[in-house]
Amino acid sequence: MHRFLRFSVLFTGLLFALGSYVTEATQSEPADPGVEGSAIDKAAKEMSDSGGSAFSEWESKYFASGPDNVGPAIEQPIEFPHFRHAGDHDKGGMEINCMYCHTYARRSLVAGIPPVQKCIGCHQSIDSVRDKPRIKKLFEYWDAKKAIPWKKVHDLPDFVRFSHERHVQRFIFQLNRPVQEVCGYCHGDVKTMTVARRQRLLSMGFCVTCHEINHPVTAEGGTPIGDQKYWYSMRKPITDASVMLKAQGPNDCWECHK
Amino acid sequence: MNNEFDRRDFLKVLGWSGTAAALSGCGNGMVENGKETVVSYVETNDYMIPSVSVYFNSTCAQCDAGCSIMGRVREGRVLKLEGNPNSAINRGKTCGLGQAGVQHHYNPDRVREPLLRTGDQGEAVTWDKAYALIADKLKGVSGEEIAFLTGGVSGHLKVLLGNYLDSFGCKNHFVYEAIAPAVVRAANKKSYGVEMPRFNINKAKVVLSFGADFLGAWVSPVHFSQQYAQFRKGVNGQRGVLVQIESKMTITGANADRWLVVRPGTEGILALGIINALGSHGVTIPGDVASAVKGYGKERVSKDTGVSAEQIDKIAALLKARTPSLVLVGNAAEGYAHGSQNAAAINLLNQVLGNVGKTVEAPAIVPFPQMAPATGNTASLKTLNDGLAAGKYKVLFSYAANPVFTAPGAMKFRDNMAKAGFKVAFAHYLDETAMQADLVLPLDSALEDWGTQVPEYMAEGAQINIQQPLMETLHPDTRGMGDILLALIKQRRAEEYKKFDDFYGYLRSAVLNNKSALGSGSIADDDIFWNETLSKGIVKLPGAAHASLSVKSGVAGLALPQPAAIDAQYPFQLIPHVTGSLRDGRHTNQPWLQESPDPMTTIVWDSWVEIHPKRAAELGIQEGDIVEVTGKNGSVKVQAYLFPGIHPDAISIPLGRGHEAMGRYAKGYGVNPFQILDMVFDKETGELALHETRVKISKTGERVIVVKDEGPVGGKQLGQKIVPLMTTDKVNLSKEI
Amino acid sequence: MSLSTLFADYSQFRHRHPDGDVPHNPYKWAMAIDLDACSGCNACAVACYAENNLPVVGREKFSHGQAMHWMRIERYWDEDGREFPDQGARFLPMLCQQCEAAPCETVCPVGATNHTPDGLNSQVYNRCIGSRYCSSNCPYKVRYFNWWDYPTTDNVWPAEMNMQLNPDVTVRSKGVMEKCTFCMQRLRQAESDAKTQGRLVHDGEVQTACQQACPTSAISFGNLVDPESKVHKQWRAQQVDLDKHEQAKDEEPGGSDLRGYRIYEFLAPYPSIMYLERVRETEI
Repeated sequence: MHRFLRFSVLFTGLLFALGSYVTEATQSEPADPGVEGSAIDKAAKEMSDSGGSAFSEWESKYFASGPDNVGPAIEQPIEFPHFRHAGDHDKGGMEINCMYCHTYARRSLVAGIPPVQKCIGCHQSIDSVRDKPRIKKLFEYWDAKKAIPWKKVHDLPDFVRFSHERHVQRFIFQLNRPVQEVCGYCHGDVKTMTVARRQRLLSMGFCVTCHEINHPVTAEGGTPIGDQKYWYSMRKPITDASVMLKAQGPNDCWECHK
Repeated sequence: MNNEFDRRDFLKVLGWSGTAAALSGCGNGMVENGKETVVSYVETNDYMIPSVSVYFNSTCAQCDAGCSIMGRVREGRVLKLEGNPNSAINRGKTCGLGQAGVQHHYNPDRVREPLLRTGDQGEAVTWDKAYALIADKLKGVSGEEIAFLTGGVSGHLKVLLGNYLDSFGCKNHFVYEAIAPAVVRAANKKSYGVEMPRFNINKAKVVLSFGADFLGAWVSPVHFSQQYAQFRKGVNGQRGVLVQIESKMTITGANADRWLVVRPGTEGILALGIINALGSHGVTIPGDVASAVKGYGKERVSKDTGVSAEQIDKIAALLKARTPSLVLVGNAAEGYAHGSQNAAAINLLNQVLGNVGKTVEAPAIVPFPQMAPATGNTASLKTLNDGLAAGKYKVLFSYAANPVFTAPGAMKFRDNMAKAGFKVAFAHYLDETAMQADLVLPLDSALEDWGTQVPEYMAEGAQINIQQPLMETLHPDTRGMGDILLALIKQRRAEEYKKFDDFYGYLRSAVLNNKSALGSGSIADDDIFWNETLSKGIVKLPGAAHASLSVKSGVAGLALPQPAAIDAQYPFQLIPHVTGSLRDGRHTNQPWLQESPDPMTTIVWDSWVEIHPKRAAELGIQEGDIVEVTGKNGSVKVQAYLFPGIHPDAISIPLGRGHEAMGRYAKGYGVNPFQILDMVFDKETGELALHETRVKISKTGERVIVVKDEGPVGGKQLGQKIVPLMTTDKVNLSKEI
Repeated sequence: MSLSTLFADYSQFRHRHPDGDVPHNPYKWAMAIDLDACSGCNACAVACYAENNLPVVGREKFSHGQAMHWMRIERYWDEDGREFPDQGARFLPMLCQQCEAAPCETVCPVGATNHTPDGLNSQVYNRCIGSRYCSSNCPYKVRYFNWWDYPTTDNVWPAEMNMQLNPDVTVRSKGVMEKCTFCMQRLRQAESDAKTQGRLVHDGEVQTACQQACPTSAISFGNLVDPESKVHKQWRAQQVDLDKHEQAKDEEPGGSDLRGYRIYEFLAPYPSIMYLERVRETEI
């Protein structure tokens, strides 16, 4: 009886393991843009220094746009309207760059929440909204010199080290993609929200999906694509003489786990 | 096959597969969206970037070497201390004690508000009430009836304190350090004309140290450690040689090429014996010295000290061949009633070897004599104790000293302190002395406070260390010592000090008033100079004058006693040794230091008595036996540890543990050898002779397992190549980078 | 994970740095510790506690061998039966050797410990299930297990003491293995800062906590594949090759006159720390 049970458990375990290998093998890796002249491959070739979201079609497969509202709706001390500040002109917004307020994104692990001083910087001169309830609340905090107790919307476990700097430097400053699009990869379309609400899973799988992509860093023959020459010199990609060079994002555990 | 199957077996089997299933992802259980608040500010500076560290320079106050530190500050709190690379003293390095400075600051047992004793109870009072009470107690009290006890002080705090005492016409400032190189200072003054010359270990080819634990706890260990590293790299590929002579192995002794165990107290005799041997080896000895050492031939010296004649010859040969050398004196001076004599004899060696002017040099002087350090000693405690016993003092102030813990029990300091009318303790923690006070005033930690510090040991050029807060004050009701003194002095000299709102203002104005003397150069703007000074953390005074050395042999006064006979009733000599991390016990409540294994024994969290294995075998003592160490003035029960690095006639218990107060990490751990010391003093300086306590050992029959880091094989490589040793005749150091 | 990556990874397993035409990461972190300079003061050990949120376990747990000192100083005596240790003692700072062929990496049942491209042996706390097989395999015994939940244990990090915790390092809870990381948090930060400036980390720009504290500067640390780095020059001068478990210089008749060696090299874990032998003077 013993032996039978042990054997059957072992067998089941083996089946599972084998099964997972099989399913992994058949499940193709996320569309490898560098191979077989796919639409994505063409897009890569078209990508120019001036950037532009050549990948948006592909990305739309993985980064859904439109509110997904994955996270809970979180009530903030002041219901800050992102759509007013970051939204398009034709919708009544001011198209303020995300990094005007979330200043530290380009140089820190965190993007940062603006100090009250930043809000007051503009609002001290905007008489037209000075009496609105939310603005009045803002000035109450300022006059009392009290920090606004914003609640954290996007949290990661304490054992994870996520660097905004690295991602902002890469996508915005190096690849020259529009700020709102880049921030939107993980934070969604913030300019349609009042207060922020988590739009993406932000799990390890979510991050790894992107990092695992074999993206081209050179065209055929070895010429680095645009700003990729910076990347190419830092991390030598896997070489296969016949196709363009591809590289993956960081997949070393200690890049993100601390 | 057994067909029986029961539930336990079933679960065992299922458990295995159950675990396999549970190995799948753990979900996002640890994120707290919407629950945590974000770091949020009202206004920020340019340099306040969340997740980016800012570094501020200050001065370490864990000992009085005056190393400069750099605090890593993130989101407004100091996380870690590093060394400040600007300082010539520590050049960016720290010792373990310095690292533990954050635990002094964040210690959960810090006093948070003024405490007033009524009978057996203590109540929290306001600062206003405390100050009013002090003013009240001082009314009509003359200067002679006030006593102010401190540890070593320097800089502007010393100036302010001096002015405060001056306002009463009080001359009773007792500067007390339980462990201080006071005998060495006095001997240096006689031999070289200065109390603390500059020792250039890195320029010496041989260092001969008589108990000077310069890598551990002597004077300025971080600075000396750096010099030691250069010393070992050597000049032209010739590595420096360290010879250590002492009765109990210190960490410096553990690093010596030759560690010579010497009969306790006979170091002076050995020094004269070496001079005698140098003469025989052809070194020119001045006439008066030669005649003084005539009677110290190798045979006699060997008999008295236990060091073989062959070794004495070898040392003399080495000293002759490799110059310059450097001879240092440490606990050979501090330990004995004839310590000053020992020191004089040992200093003679430097003169005979021509080291003065090469490895013993004149120190630079900070050109502000009022800021120069008031250095502590134990003789001051005796004077204070006598005064307290006689009921002389109506008001006693105590700052940066813990005499109830560190004074020998025979002094009965605790009882005598009770005789003072009103006792005020300025303290970070409720240590033994604060527990006896009537009023305890809580201090800002060293990482929250302002100040200047002038170290006793000037490493290279003269420098003044700046102490600035590394973060906002942790507890709302603590005050900096400078602020307290300012408030007190305003009670006496209101007009003179009313322009200073706080000690920060006082300090700033004092620095700016002396801008050009402090090296402001072309910086005309006050704010810029002040900020630059703070940002560097030290003020270097490159143009400062050096003291002048005046060398005297002092042979005339040399009269070394014969080694004392061993008392049959108390056959052992107790050596209370100083560890680099605990010192006199002021940091025992910092848990990193409690858990930091002693380098020699690897024991943690407890005291121990070191006995030489041969003597232990004779007495039937094994490791872990609880033995009672009894002297004339008391006894302690402590676990035994067999230690080969000690003279067979000596035993050693470390200082620093055995607290009865001072918080959860200090109270109740170990024993306090200070308490059982014999009242023997150095004849010339009146300093407490730390090694003159005679004791006996008896087994109590109890046994414990010693809590230590080394395993049961302790210190053996078991045939593996773990720490091989290379000899100088084989190694080729010039091939190294 | 697929079978193909499994095989690819295995062939890269025990891949050494640097190696011919196989491109490698611009960094390979290594250390050299001079045992002649090491005075045994324990400053490095305390600095490590401060930097890496190491819990102070207290006396009782210490007596059970549950201390958490990632860096420890071992003290050895001469073993020739001398009555007094008149040649002093020998101190050995022992920390994770970041072996290139780490015995601990192969045996983790869940793959919580791996090798990073920059030559470190990584430990991922949230994957660790606490089997302790890795520490059992480690020949240096430099892996430490959290037998207790220190964050919730009294007096480990009471109020205010917990403000000292380094936010760049995880605070470990019960049941996970931990060990020296070569201050990986500092390395990552320095690499990131350098990358933003479009360059690699200069030698000396990043220091481990132990290296920064050491008063005798016995520890040198840096990028072994950077020819300008001190560590590279030291390994080169000492003729110690990362990829070999027996060094050519040791075959010389009479042994080598160079001091560099690695501990337990013959077990072929290819440790990344080279020690320089302690020296004793023959003239005295």
